[in-house]
Amino acid sequence: MTLPSTRSAPLLEVDDLARHYTVSRGFMKPKGLVRALDGVSFTLAAGETLAVVGESGCGKSTLARQVTMIERPTSGTLKLDGEDVAHADRGARKRMRPRVQMVFQNPYASLNPRKKVGTLLEEPLAINLDLSRAARRERAEAMMAKVGLRPEHYLRYPHMFSGGQRQRIAVARALMLNPRLVVADEPVSALDVSIQAQVLNLLMDLQQEMGIAYLFISHNLQVVRHIADAVLVMYLGRVVEYGPKPAVFARPAHPYTRALLASTPVLDRAARRQRVALAGELPSPLDPPGGCAFHKRCPHAIERCRSEVPALELLGEIRVACHRARELEA
Amino acid sequence: MALLEIEGLTVAFGTAAAPFLAVDGVDLAVDAGEIVGCVGESGSGKSVTALALMGLVDFPGRVTARRMAFAGRDLLAQSDRERRALLGKDIAMIFQDPLASLNPCFTVAFQLMETLRIHEGGSARERRARALELLQQVEIPDAAARLDAFPHQLSGGMAQRVMIAMAIACNPKLLIADEPSTALDVTVQAQILELLVELQRDRGMALILITHDLAVVSEVAQRAVVMYAGQIVETGPLPDLFETPRHPYTQALLAALPEHNLERARLQSFEGVVPGQHNRPTGCLLSPRCPYAIPRCRREQPVQAGEGGQAARCHFPLDAAGRPTAGWTESMLNAVA
Repeated sequence: MTLPSTRSAPLLEVDDLARHYTVSRGFMKPKGLVRALDGVSFTLAAGETLAVVGESGCGKSTLARQVTMIERPTSGTLKLDGEDVAHADRGARKRMRPRVQMVFQNPYASLNPRKKVGTLLEEPLAINLDLSRAARRERAEAMMAKVGLRPEHYLRYPHMFSGGQRQRIAVARALMLNPRLVVADEPVSALDVSIQAQVLNLLMDLQQEMGIAYLFISHNLQVVRHIADAVLVMYLGRVVEYGPKPAVFARPAHPYTRALLASTPVLDRAARRQRVALAGELPSPLDPPGGCAFHKRCPHAIERCRSEVPALELLGEIRVACHRARELEA
Repeated sequence: MALLEIEGLTVAFGTAAAPFLAVDGVDLAVDAGEIVGCVGESGSGKSVTALALMGLVDFPGRVTARRMAFAGRDLLAQSDRERRALLGKDIAMIFQDPLASLNPCFTVAFQLMETLRIHEGGSARERRARALELLQQVEIPDAAARLDAFPHQLSGGMAQRVMIAMAIACNPKLLIADEPSTALDVTVQAQILELLVELQRDRGMALILITHDLAVVSEVAQRAVVMYAGQIVETGPLPDLFETPRHPYTQALLAALPEHNLERARLQSFEGVVPGQHNRPTGCLLSPRCPYAIPRCRREQPVQAGEGGQAARCHFPLDAAGRPTAGWTESMLNAVA
């Protein structure tokens, strides 16, 4: 149980977090270093939603692996409820882990097809708490009601459910231990629009009811616009833009954010933005370009961008890592 | 005459006594040089329609149609040999997951040249030159070096470009793209869509774009068909179809988009799922999920009707304000009485 005194401090405080991987490039070749996460900082308060946005390979999932304590970061601090979990010992990390839970992208892959819904939901309780069978069942049934599953679903297998219902089961499983923070990795991108709306509504209702914070990883900016309180845009392991949602959507400061917004298909012809031609794809993280990592695809790149890595600077309400942000804004 | 004419296309699975209609009486006409979007939830029969058109529905699936003609040729009467000569040449298709559709054991050049060898012939050197040209047309950077790459060495966007190159190798008159950009990042998705539209315009080919993303269809297509449970429930020109939907299903899909809920805390969700094999309702297939359904909807199957090119399969198509037409309240009263 959390003490009231921790309420003023942010739930999650990430400072200069880095995670590097060494990768083999073949026999007799020097090992490569991938900076999957490089100097990422942000804070997340209880009951709020931070959306992490970026293309595949930008480090979103690596960030999720650090926050959920699946891996240890290479450097930097990661404070949960004021306690640094990056450098904590195994026992402390084990004790902290139930506070952060995860919902995955594909509910067809994240539920064990050989276990009944009841077993799936009770597994976290069986592992982490010392409860009787009856008490576990009671909690599982209460959670099922909360996420909109019927009591008779308790004895059913995942294959008997539709995609939307499976994602409800996955959400229920994540909430069984009353986590403070849920990391949702593309939780609705495998679902149809109609079902997507149901799951997003559920996530938001549960947030209000239980005061959960979400680290919401998504590449769908329309969804992010709906659910997030703050937005963190990543590119090749670094934060390029970070700020409150209304500001980021109203006046995106980084050329990459603008390109992402312009690339997102919109229905309303009047709301369509001028397409920013974003050529090419994310460069290989093994061999990132020097200077600003985005300069090769950026329409505004100048000489300085090729040589100097831009620092994250405050511009109005938004933090942005771009040499020309101030000048482009005007 | 339309390039592609389909009337009453039905694909049935299951037994003859209890058939399950994955596609149920689909009528579709596509003109040369037209982009038609095909939208609907998973399980609506979008992909099966395309597969039936390509002759790729295997036993036990049964394909029947009153008429299925491409450029004046009857597809139903064709022998397998004739159909193989047509597919990949005049009608080509690209699929959702490019890395699953490319053969991992062969290089890009080999796979491109195989299509050319079967349909066009020519010496190996000519075909290789043509393969390089195709890769350049789909804007693959450093195309010459990519010719000898294996699929696993390509990114998702690059692999989809290779698939497109393969599809346009023989200058098809009709290209069917089944969720071509769904598995890709937004930036790459935008590039791929732009490329498809550019190729379509330059070559005057017709494009059927199957997707569940209404926004993609709205950006690219001139006309759209909305499918539900194997039937076309609404069809019409864009943007009219998405601005004033006549069918409650189209209306509900549009209302569920976050884009249409900017001022709301909650999204307007559309409960329920597409009925499967064992729970097909009688009457209108949407009736269990439709907010406007009345007893008549549960009894009688509606027929497609409408004016101005926009037609909806509904007893009480919606008016411009998005409410069911006048007959609805009256029949509601009748039903109560």
